[in-house]
Amino acid sequence: MTGLKRLLAATAFTAAAVSGAATQGALAQETIFLSTQLRPIEEATKVRQIILRGAPGPVTFVVEEPSPFQTRMDAETAAGKRTISMVGALHGELSPLVGSKGLDPVDDLAARARERGVPEAMLALGKLGTDRQMYIPWMQATYIMAARKEALQYLPAGADINALSYAQLKDWAKAIQDRTGKRALGFPAGQKGLMPRFFQGYLYPSYTGGVVSTFKNADAEAMWAAFKDLWTHVNPNSASYDFMQEPLMAGEVMIAFDHVARLKDALVAAPNDYVTFPAPSAGKGRGFMPVVAGLGIAPGAPNRAGAAAAIDHLLKPETQVTMARELGFFPVVKADLPTDLPGGITLLVEGVAKTQGAKDALVSLLPVGLGAKSGEFSKVYMDTFQAIVLRGAPIRATLDAQAATLQTIMNETKAPCWAPDKPSDGACKVN
Amino acid sequence: MSEATVSIRLRRVMFWSGVAMLCAWVLVPIYLIALGAFGGRAGVFRWPKNLLPWDSGLAAMQAFLAVEGVWTAAVNGALVACLTMLFSLLLGAPAGYALARYRFAGQDAFRMLVVLTRAFPLAILALPLTVTFIRTGLYDTPLGVALVHTALALPFTALVSSSLFMGIPRELEEAAWIFGCTGLQAFRKIVLPLALPGLAAAAIFSFVISWNEVFAASVLTVRNRTLTAYLLTVLAESPLHFRFAGGFLLILPSVIFIFAVRKYLFAMWGIANR
Repeated sequence: MTGLKRLLAATAFTAAAVSGAATQGALAQETIFLSTQLRPIEEATKVRQIILRGAPGPVTFVVEEPSPFQTRMDAETAAGKRTISMVGALHGELSPLVGSKGLDPVDDLAARARERGVPEAMLALGKLGTDRQMYIPWMQATYIMAARKEALQYLPAGADINALSYAQLKDWAKAIQDRTGKRALGFPAGQKGLMPRFFQGYLYPSYTGGVVSTFKNADAEAMWAAFKDLWTHVNPNSASYDFMQEPLMAGEVMIAFDHVARLKDALVAAPNDYVTFPAPSAGKGRGFMPVVAGLGIAPGAPNRAGAAAAIDHLLKPETQVTMARELGFFPVVKADLPTDLPGGITLLVEGVAKTQGAKDALVSLLPVGLGAKSGEFSKVYMDTFQAIVLRGAPIRATLDAQAATLQTIMNETKAPCWAPDKPSDGACKVN
Repeated sequence: MSEATVSIRLRRVMFWSGVAMLCAWVLVPIYLIALGAFGGRAGVFRWPKNLLPWDSGLAAMQAFLAVEGVWTAAVNGALVACLTMLFSLLLGAPAGYALARYRFAGQDAFRMLVVLTRAFPLAILALPLTVTFIRTGLYDTPLGVALVHTALALPFTALVSSSLFMGIPRELEEAAWIFGCTGLQAFRKIVLPLALPGLAAAAIFSFVISWNEVFAASVLTVRNRTLTAYLLTVLAESPLHFRFAGGFLLILPSVIFIFAVRKYLFAMWGIANR
């Protein structure tokens, strides 16, 4: 009994003491930088210890998932009191903040970014449909494919790995399965995987030349049939993969598609074991989706000057090169990547270069103008995939049903079509 | 060998294998997590595994503990959990006592209402709660998080302690009154010692509820995150050996805490104090 009493007393004492200290410990000139990017623990540590070390003032890097990120920004707007000075997030995560007044225009920083060679088109994306600069582009990435070298021996005769078609990818995976009994192709179709982006930026554009307007046309029907066929050679664990680097390292899959940052660990750990190459092509080209993350400042930020200085620091060419070297995200400013990059990063750079430079490359933008509905938009593609491919629902009926949902989202947001769909007057139409 | 000794021996084998099963049920997962936590990046994919966690050195765990903010978050987590434990005992035990000892109008409704606090998903409350917390200055403080966790833990402490007090005969208290104790004295000298093991269990429960809660802890804080919130927002997307190291670190305090108060737990289950 006395033991418990003592325990309780000690608890009460420390609790009171420490909570007093913690609340008073607010640092004077600190800039709080809230980011939905670079969340994984190793990446966040590198940001804190390497990337932000050279910033002019103390910057506290706090990471958060996209949904609490929105909640927090909205709550701080509603309460009228800011803790966060600076935000870093994907284009699609920043765009809802315009409507909810969570971003302060940063026109004052745009000129400097332009000077450093941020492409005009990318700066225009940062206006988020307004006439002010709402965010400054921060870094870019894209999706590539990686394969373990032992898979190369099964590559179908005559196939060029840097110009694969979906049909050849299927033959390749089938050959591996026939010879080794393993379903060696993998996709990140898990809960936190980026599979929706595969449909929006790669599969749909390649087969149909569009994402929304072509959602249920005959090409799309043929595409789903082909993809369902391909799936018979895909590792069934794909439905639980979030990051492909782990199944690649564990040897569960030999060929994988994913975001460069989510392949990086495998490539860096054993650069000699892998090759990287662009995603496959189909009738309409080789779809690919560049990903842009941006930096913004909150209105009424507790430390706007500190945030502006930190953004300036992050856009320095040398900082951008360090980010490429350490994190696998690529510069948005004009910066020459050094030739002595680590082997794994070189593989990533090659994969990205081959993707961007492919003759039949077909650029697909991240969803534009969907605001808070972008989650629902992605869900349409995942639902369609799960119904048709995983549960074997009839393709035509599923596409018709999901097209109605998709059209509702488009009508509600009044989002015009974006590339690769043809520009539209008013809301994008699902044909 | 007579039939009786065989049956006794059989029973003994059954008993011990049951004990072994139950121990394995708890220990094997913890052991596997420890293997993953100490094995490092390569160890996670190695098969067969090393038998001892420390075979591959402490490098992985050290790397994990060197991550900026892990220690602060651990202190915050422990602080919030202790505050929660304190508040929910201070508020829950009297409520439980009242429920057990006094008849009052709306008693059953009150009992239901207590549980109702768990009926609202925190995700819906997040926005208004955060706004209120920012306005009142509780945002980003351990105290604020502890208050929310107390609200979550209170139904358990109140209901557990009410059934606890119901189990202590009212006659004991009345006897104390007859011998000249005031109400408070009777409670402190007679009821409390009897109820203590149960209250300890309730306290452990609120500690664990708070330690494991992620959502409120991450939405209501920016810099002063609890360990669970700090880790879980990043763990799911981190390499496997980090996840194991994080998991190991998250189990540890609960296990240590329960070990520290095991005496009271055993007492509650009717096993003699040891």
